[in-house]
Amino acid sequence: MPLEAIEEHRTPVPVLSFPRQTVASLLIFAVCWETLSHLSPLLGIPPFAVPSFATIARSMARITPLDVVVTLARVIGALIASFTVGIALAMAMYRSETLDKYLHPMVRILMAVPVVSWILFAVLWFPGVEFRIGFVLVVVCGPVFLVDTLDAMRNVPRELRQMMRSFRPTVLQFFIKLMLPAIVPTIFTSWKVNISLAIRVVTIAELVGAVTGIGHQLSVAQELFSVADVFAWTIVLVALLFLLEAVVARLEARILRWRA
Amino acid sequence: MTEIQKNGPPPIEVRGLRKVFRQATTGQSVVAIDRLDLTIASREVVAIVGQTGCGKSTFFDLMIGLEAPTDGSIRIGGKSPYADFDFFRGHMATVFQQDRLLPWRSALDNAKLPLELIGHSEEEQRERALSWLKRLGLENFTNAYPHELSGGMRQRVAIARAFSVQPQILLADEAFGHLDEVTAAELRETFLSLTRETGATAILITHQLEEAIAVGDRIAVFGQSARLLADIHVAQWPPSEYGTLREAIQWTLQNQRPDPRLAQAPSAAAQSH
Repeated sequence: MPLEAIEEHRTPVPVLSFPRQTVASLLIFAVCWETLSHLSPLLGIPPFAVPSFATIARSMARITPLDVVVTLARVIGALIASFTVGIALAMAMYRSETLDKYLHPMVRILMAVPVVSWILFAVLWFPGVEFRIGFVLVVVCGPVFLVDTLDAMRNVPRELRQMMRSFRPTVLQFFIKLMLPAIVPTIFTSWKVNISLAIRVVTIAELVGAVTGIGHQLSVAQELFSVADVFAWTIVLVALLFLLEAVVARLEARILRWRA
Repeated sequence: MTEIQKNGPPPIEVRGLRKVFRQATTGQSVVAIDRLDLTIASREVVAIVGQTGCGKSTFFDLMIGLEAPTDGSIRIGGKSPYADFDFFRGHMATVFQQDRLLPWRSALDNAKLPLELIGHSEEEQRERALSWLKRLGLENFTNAYPHELSGGMRQRVAIARAFSVQPQILLADEAFGHLDEVTAAELRETFLSLTRETGATAILITHQLEEAIAVGDRIAVFGQSARLLADIHVAQWPPSEYGTLREAIQWTLQNQRPDPRLAQAPSAAAQSH
């Protein structure tokens, strides 16, 4: 079947929808888990390792909303800061070849450093917990926004740039009227990638150096050997990720409605 | 009100224009335009014809001011489109081969674009863009996105966008070349009548000889490196002789020297040199 035909026949899956197959696979997993939980003593598995759904539900009931809100605020705040820094630097690097030549190697190095190293650096360098977490998130997500934005700017068709310049815009108008709208689809993709990245990074950062947030609660659960609590907090993290992705997807559909 | 607005379009004077590019891969120099002299009077419609690679598009870029000449000059009312780039904001407009509409903007918003750049009030932008879209027969499609319009309609929006600033100088690069014959002829006619009505000076780059003869007051025939092979005043050729004129231009292009038949008209190439 030619590619166009495959594309034609592919049914778009709405965000947060639950098609039959998804429900079925979740149910199969749940049944297997529950069965394993009941059979664990017979299989020599410690009872706490595979808690039943009833136990997990009790852990879910004990979820503290404040920790959820704190983690969510850290993720959103850091993403906004990363986006602002990333896009500003991308615009500057697009304008100045010299700046690009100096900054590009630095950005590549930043992106190559493992998250754990950043967390350790942050713990050693900064006293404030919030600043440490913010620093780690921005230093991990910022370069992704920067590289994606810069690539997208360079890929704006030459024909459109020439047309725009022929009407003699100011530098600001050139960016506002052409470059920014042209890169919006890439910006949305970048946000989706970074949401997932930020949730994973914030969890590790909170796990190591925070006294609030989901990461911290996971650390407590680990100290208490409570797999049910880890399971419950993980469900919350996944739900948060889906929620944020749904918000971005909704915004994307609204803003990019001009696309055929 | 600027000098240009008060006195109408100023003449365009091209003197010793030369543009040399260095090829990125081989490092070799390529002479795209070699010492071109051309004068275009106010409100004149000049068609530039030439074979592919003769420097027409480079000339277009130099006229817009997107490229700096290597040598020589282009002067429009004493100003250079490159050095005095901002001076021509709102005075010069372009129509390209492809419509080059912004896909995220509706027809109306695309037509408004140059007016936004100039800084007209929102109301004036809307009013002027709407009036041009109406004149181009697009009153029922003002809110349509480019992908919802046909090729001809998109090019109409591009023409409305160019005229919306009421430019003194219009530049069109193969503006109708990609359309079917009927649509192209229709749009060409509309473009020409609007140009005459607004009193703009227009330069049309084309590879279609019929189009050049139908539209131009003058036809500048470019040889390789934009060497001016012939400068033809179309009015001096009766319509019954257009077939001969077409053949003579074609011969000129093929042989890279003026066809002797062009010398029969008073404004043939020999006189312009």
